Amino acid sequence: MTNNSNPRVAFPSSPAQSTVPRTSSKSQLRPTGAADVKKIATEEAGNRRGLLSTLFSGVTPSEWALLGVSTSIKVLLFPAYRSTDFEVHRNWLAITHSLPISRWYYDTTSEWTLDYPPFFAYFEWLLSIPASIVDKRIVDLQNLNYDAWSVVVFQRTTVIVTELVLATALFRFVRGSVDQPMQRIISASLFLHPGFLIVDHIHFQYNGFLFGILLWSLLMARNGNLLGCGFFFAVLLNFKHIYMYQAPAYFVYLLRAFCMSPQGGLNVSNLLSLANIVIAVFVVSFGPFILMGQIPQIITRLFPFKRGLNHAYWAPNGWALVTAADRVILQVIKRTGADFALNAEGIASTSRGLVGDTVFAVLPNVKPIHTFAITIALQSIFMIKLWRNPTYKSFLCALTLCGYVSYMFGWHVHEKAVLLVLVPLSLLAAENHALFRTFVIASVAGIYSLFPLLFTPAETPVKVVYSILWMYLTFQPLVRRLYEFPRSLPMVVVDYLEKLYLAGFCALHLFVTVFPLIAAVPSAQQDTSSASNATIACTPREGFICPETEPLLSSTSSSGRALEFLPLMVTSVYCAIGLTWAFLRLSFIYLKSSSKS
Amino acid sequence: MHRNHMKEGVTVCSVLAALWIKWCVGLGSYSGAGIPPMYGDYEAQRHWMEITQHLPTSKWYTYKLQYWGLDYPPLTAYHSYLCGLIGSSINPTWFTLDTSRGIETEDSKVFMRYTVLITDMVIYIPALIYFVRSWHGNRSKRTQSLALLCLLLQPSLILIDNGHFQFNSAMLGFTILALNCFSRGYESLGAVFFAASLGFKQMSLYYAPAIGSYLLGRCISLGRRAGTATFIRLGVTTLLSFYVIFCPFLPPFAPLESILDPLIRIFPFSRGIFEDKVANMWCASNVVLKWRAYFTQASLVRLSAAFTALGFAPAVLNLMVGSWKASIIVDSTKYSTPPTLPILPWALLTSSMSFFLFSFQVHEKTILLPLLPLNLLMSGSSPGSFTFEWSALVNNVAVFSMWPLLRRDGAAIPYVALTFLWNRVIGYNPFRKPARRSFVRYIALFVYVEITLLHALELLITPPSRYPDLFPVLNVLVCAPIFGVTWLWSIKRSTEVTWAISGIGLRRSRGQPQDVKDLK
Repeated sequence: MTNNSNPRVAFPSSPAQSTVPRTSSKSQLRPTGAADVKKIATEEAGNRRGLLSTLFSGVTPSEWALLGVSTSIKVLLFPAYRSTDFEVHRNWLAITHSLPISRWYYDTTSEWTLDYPPFFAYFEWLLSIPASIVDKRIVDLQNLNYDAWSVVVFQRTTVIVTELVLATALFRFVRGSVDQPMQRIISASLFLHPGFLIVDHIHFQYNGFLFGILLWSLLMARNGNLLGCGFFFAVLLNFKHIYMYQAPAYFVYLLRAFCMSPQGGLNVSNLLSLANIVIAVFVVSFGPFILMGQIPQIITRLFPFKRGLNHAYWAPNGWALVTAADRVILQVIKRTGADFALNAEGIASTSRGLVGDTVFAVLPNVKPIHTFAITIALQSIFMIKLWRNPTYKSFLCALTLCGYVSYMFGWHVHEKAVLLVLVPLSLLAAENHALFRTFVIASVAGIYSLFPLLFTPAETPVKVVYSILWMYLTFQPLVRRLYEFPRSLPMVVVDYLEKLYLAGFCALHLFVTVFPLIAAVPSAQQDTSSASNATIACTPREGFICPETEPLLSSTSSSGRALEFLPLMVTSVYCAIGLTWAFLRLSFIYLKSSSKS
Repeated sequence: MHRNHMKEGVTVCSVLAALWIKWCVGLGSYSGAGIPPMYGDYEAQRHWMEITQHLPTSKWYTYKLQYWGLDYPPLTAYHSYLCGLIGSSINPTWFTLDTSRGIETEDSKVFMRYTVLITDMVIYIPALIYFVRSWHGNRSKRTQSLALLCLLLQPSLILIDNGHFQFNSAMLGFTILALNCFSRGYESLGAVFFAASLGFKQMSLYYAPAIGSYLLGRCISLGRRAGTATFIRLGVTTLLSFYVIFCPFLPPFAPLESILDPLIRIFPFSRGIFEDKVANMWCASNVVLKWRAYFTQASLVRLSAAFTALGFAPAVLNLMVGSWKASIIVDSTKYSTPPTLPILPWALLTSSMSFFLFSFQVHEKTILLPLLPLNLLMSGSSPGSFTFEWSALVNNVAVFSMWPLLRRDGAAIPYVALTFLWNRVIGYNPFRKPARRSFVRYIALFVYVEITLLHALELLITPPSRYPDLFPVLNVLVCAPIFGVTWLWSIKRSTEVTWAISGIGLRRSRGQPQDVKDLK
């Protein structure tokens, strides 16, 4: 799809654009001085005169084409499968519309209580106004699991419309980019990312909108407006607190590059203005709740620590590998009968198919404090590097790694969080071949790890074909520009192994598709008596447990559950290998990179 | 090598993108979804998969005809049989005899959607790729890719096949395969493919006058000896193909009378001249002239047959005259491509459009048949040319003409999205300000404004109870004139192409034939 846009169309320099400093691409490479910041700040103020006209002025014909084509394909997905997140967001529309603000974080009419920070609640409140005009029943608090066509069209449309925040940020990334053709590919590929298609437009969430805010923040950083960068990130944190994964990188970067001079002196006026902006954002967000004294209640909603190490389907991170290793060692011990202290609870946990808490049978158990310690220890390594080298590119890399560490070693990480890695990493993909290869491995593994979110047979071709198309249209033009031959023997071997790993996804997909059919043959004979089984939306026959509704599933025989879980486990482990390798690659590249660039 | 690899990549990507879009359309609603007791075309196709695998061939065309009796030729039945067998091997409950009626489980729907997509992949899409390579082989790769994309994403066919639920792409695919064979000079193989097309759906009879006279003309242009041999060969292969298709209903496999069962089902002359509101001559003029009040059923049948024959006569005439003159001035043995080939798409358009406008028992879906040659012609035309502009207009009008049907199916969103997408991909903006002296643009703009107005009115106003069919009738009145003009235009163009090949007068022309591949 990305290639359909006419590549010959040149980007005209529009009047609105001319106010953006042309030198920004150069100034991004060094810490911005105070004078620069002031200059840019005044220019930005000039820019803000007509926000809408600024946003859409100079949208080139090829960008309109991209918007048009992508919107028409997203609209086609309206009737597709939607997860319980759809009902979650509908319920939030109802809560914010029909209850006073003081009840928002207390309502428990539905099991899907409001557990995002206040800005998201305000956002839902804004959306609930048109929703109540479209259909009164949407915002009815008692009308649980409402799924009429009106609410589907309304909510799906809001996802597409709010995604324009992402589109405008990405279009602006192209302007003033050092290498416009490459940035255009990257921007288009991010806008059409399969992750967004799967998680937002099918599964249902507002990640496109939220990552749009993140990219606006990064855009500000690239253009040297670090005050704007901090502002947008503060706003983002108040929309969804998962972005706290990336907060350390922001903190270090803004402190070093904005609040301190390159020589190390503190720039008090900058520090105060940044602090004021961030505090102002938080006051606007949490102010009403502070006045009502509801902060403790909000905190319990935002951080529910009662969950297990792994999510229902293991997010393919470090813990998935550890958990898998535990299972394998347990089997080995059981087979060989070796004398080893086993944790009885852990053995039971293996047969439960990983619902709820994960308890290891052989390896020592992991507590939340351990995950925090590992995460912070690893992050601090990258933060030291960022402190020494506070440039935009370095910041982008550190930001990616910061999210990556949290994803790899965080407590109860959801597979959707892989977008926190993939989105900033995409912006680095065009730098050189080493980063590009890291991007390829992480993207393939990360996108494939999202596939189990859509377990219905009707959506299988949608996710598979779209991802293949996206990968071809993104990787093909980039690899032509970036390819380098591996120069030493170890690199040749690594290159070969990486290609083998990527090719292995075909085999993995074949296994995931075929295995349930084979496994279903013996059990199908038992199933024919209970025909009602076949009509449940989430068919156990498909071999995927439903990630969202899983606790509701009745527990069948343990061997049957194990067979159903096997494809998921294999997927998780295989993706985890790639994501771990990409993590090591990226860490190595970042730590090895010279401090100058 | 590397460049070639990229070009292959473009084709593969186009096909994948088209398949993806088709599948996404299939996520939505279909004909008669959740409307018992009869449901719709989806249930009809599923029902045929059910009865063909449980009944002997002798009962296929006679079993409980009130509930979606099979009314397509045997190739459709064989196709249903195959799909049914595969489906039953996955889950027998989808196709149990009688008890599976109206089954709408998630997995059975997915299976049914797969049958359409795979049929598409096996017949229609290869036919299109081969068509672009063989008919536009001397054009640039870029033009070829665009032509392929334009053909693949044609909204009307996707909406009917993958949305509404039918297998028209199989019939159209066989016809394209026939055309591909003709372009390479393999007349017999082409005849077999066209017989397959006819054997799949009798609707491809709309093409028969053009194809028949093309083949006859080919025999004439080859001269007496070679021509006679070709004629005999063509006759034998065609008859043999039809025998193979119909053999379960013919001796020695069945008594001769049993052939009547399918034939009665395939040609239902007992129905009215039109059922729903169709944008053809009869329905449009019915607003003023109440045909059914003036004539009996039998005379209407004869009248419509006469009109239709008159309608496609120019196409037949052009092909005949063209090949006769070509036989005089061109030494056919010297050219690998038959000289009358460029007339063929235009003749197909004339013939199918005349059937659509004048024949008996036309459905709104039948507009797909004239659209096929039109799109084949369009795919080779350059943007901005009259052919391109007019074809884009007709395509958009054709989608609009099916709007009442799509509205009933609940396919409003794919209708808008696909039409927009196709226009976007071919680089056509319906509402662009017309250039000076661009007459077609002014007409197009006028039509688009009409269409937009009608859609807006339909949204805002409920029709008065005296005229419940107000909007479908207005729809017909907008579309029928465009289709009528298209028919006239195709006659004009096929005559011009004939002249270009062989000169105007009857005397021997000295000039060399024009580039015979120029389809514009």
